[in-house]
Amino acid sequence: MNVYVNDEKYDLLPGMTVRHALVAAGLLEQVGEGKSVYDQWGNQIGLAGALSESEKIYVR
Amino acid sequence: MIITRAIAGALLALFLLSSHSLAATHSFRLLYINDFHGFAEPGRPYGADVRMGGAAWLAAKVAFLRKEKPSLFLAAGDVLQGDNWTNLSQGQASVQLLNLMGLDALVVGNHEFDFGSDTLVKRISEARFPVLGANVEGLAALKPYVIRDVGGARVAILGVVSEETPFATHPKNVAGLTFRPVVETVARYLPEMRSKADIIVVLSHLGYAADRALADRMPGIDVIVGGHSHTRVDVPSRVGNTVIVQAWEHGKALGVLDVTIEGRNVTAIEGRLEEIRPDMGEPDPAVLSLVGKYREEADAVLEGRAGETDVDLNGADVRRRETNLGNLVADIMREVSGADAAIINGGGIRASIPKGPILVKNVYTVLPFNNYIVAIRVSGKGIRQALEHGVSGVETGAGAFPQVSGLSFVYDVTAPPGSRVGEIKVGGRPLDPGREYTVATNDFLAAGGDGYKSFGEAVRSSPDFAITGGAMKGEKLVYSDSGRWLRDVVIQWLGKRDRIKPEVENRIKEAR
Repeated sequence: MNVYVNDEKYDLLPGMTVRHALVAAGLLEQVGEGKSVYDQWGNQIGLAGALSESEKIYVR
Repeated sequence: MIITRAIAGALLALFLLSSHSLAATHSFRLLYINDFHGFAEPGRPYGADVRMGGAAWLAAKVAFLRKEKPSLFLAAGDVLQGDNWTNLSQGQASVQLLNLMGLDALVVGNHEFDFGSDTLVKRISEARFPVLGANVEGLAALKPYVIRDVGGARVAILGVVSEETPFATHPKNVAGLTFRPVVETVARYLPEMRSKADIIVVLSHLGYAADRALADRMPGIDVIVGGHSHTRVDVPSRVGNTVIVQAWEHGKALGVLDVTIEGRNVTAIEGRLEEIRPDMGEPDPAVLSLVGKYREEADAVLEGRAGETDVDLNGADVRRRETNLGNLVADIMREVSGADAAIINGGGIRASIPKGPILVKNVYTVLPFNNYIVAIRVSGKGIRQALEHGVSGVETGAGAFPQVSGLSFVYDVTAPPGSRVGEIKVGGRPLDPGREYTVATNDFLAAGGDGYKSFGEAVRSSPDFAITGGAMKGEKLVYSDSGRWLRDVVIQWLGKRDRIKPEVENRIKEAR
């Protein structure tokens, strides 16, 4: 499954979540420091949220 | 004459039905949660500086908002599994909680299957609310939809769950079940529901992106109450004439959607999320008591005996050398997944256990992270890369240091990082760089955690996955059990043995 974190592409196993995408991108610690994760429509999403193929998420 | 009377009667009935459907105005409220995951107690989410959630405060808010308008309280899946509060009763705690809160309908989420379909059937039998799953074949306890009369409106609620559920749980949990395509399922039931109801609500555990796609393809849906993606939809969104909502996760928010219909037309929609926090108002005392009861039961389980060890289990040196506790955990992962070998990060093991009885809480302390087992096909070259990375920071006590099973290797700490690993054996035979081996690890490393890249590269080279007959089929992923944390797997394994005596076996040798 391909997902995009801050417009960078990452490959994840099926069933993996937002947390795994951030681990792959090395950005999980930024959430621990107070940043949040958003989907491509601007909605905040939780770390255990499911991802779908080609989904784009953003840390800010 | 008889025929004329029959026609007249039919016309009168049609007129009455039409006048009810087309002219009457009804107003009602949908209250909703999703992805609760048994987080019944307030907690401080990762990165947050305030405590959020708390079922007793959620229940108080639901009760308050119900008094204002005729209401339905819905849950969009993943309520049984997640936090220890519910896991240690296999989801029973969550069902009793939702019974007490007067839930009107639940759709199964993918994690509802994590304790197996037999346990799910038992939980459904305990529920005083309908459990929906229109696209799940093979589980008779699930209903496709229900119709509820609220404020004079007839509301049809159809439940659908992700077709990818077999990817997200152990195959045995969904054995014999088929997850039908969602669009096909909705298309099948929509005309039938439309003939019986004024408004169509899809209670979805598909994820926000899939909800939008569903609304785009199936324009006859009035409202989608979603879950699965843990999306905080602060203001209801629209795709065509379909309103889509979702209320974040873990009971940290309650969704409120006020709907007015005239006949079968939605004429007004107003929605919001109400944050749930323990510093906002009084808790519901009955729910507070229930939460406390199951906390006590969970604590009793944690104090229980998981097994017994004849030797001290060393979790202190797992970042610098092979230990018997590292071997034990890696061995269990390999055995459970049926893999050729297992590689885990020493940093995932956080404590030692002294010789004697092993309590459940000891295992929770050793393995505190919510990690699960995956097994991936990795080339011999990939295994070497993983081990090279694992020992690259041994001088600094890096958490990446590997604990292994089914393989052995030699490394030279004086050599430069990246070229420290010498001979590797898998199953007692020299590693073949060109051959593929199945390697068990945890989801954290499989996603590239602790700097491990080999597993991700193996995944990247994999063709598309597919679900056939309800089971996961993939070229590289051979095992995934996201519904059972590693610590629970270890506890179950220990429970099947009287005593253990794991040893250091020279699986990892430092060249001198």
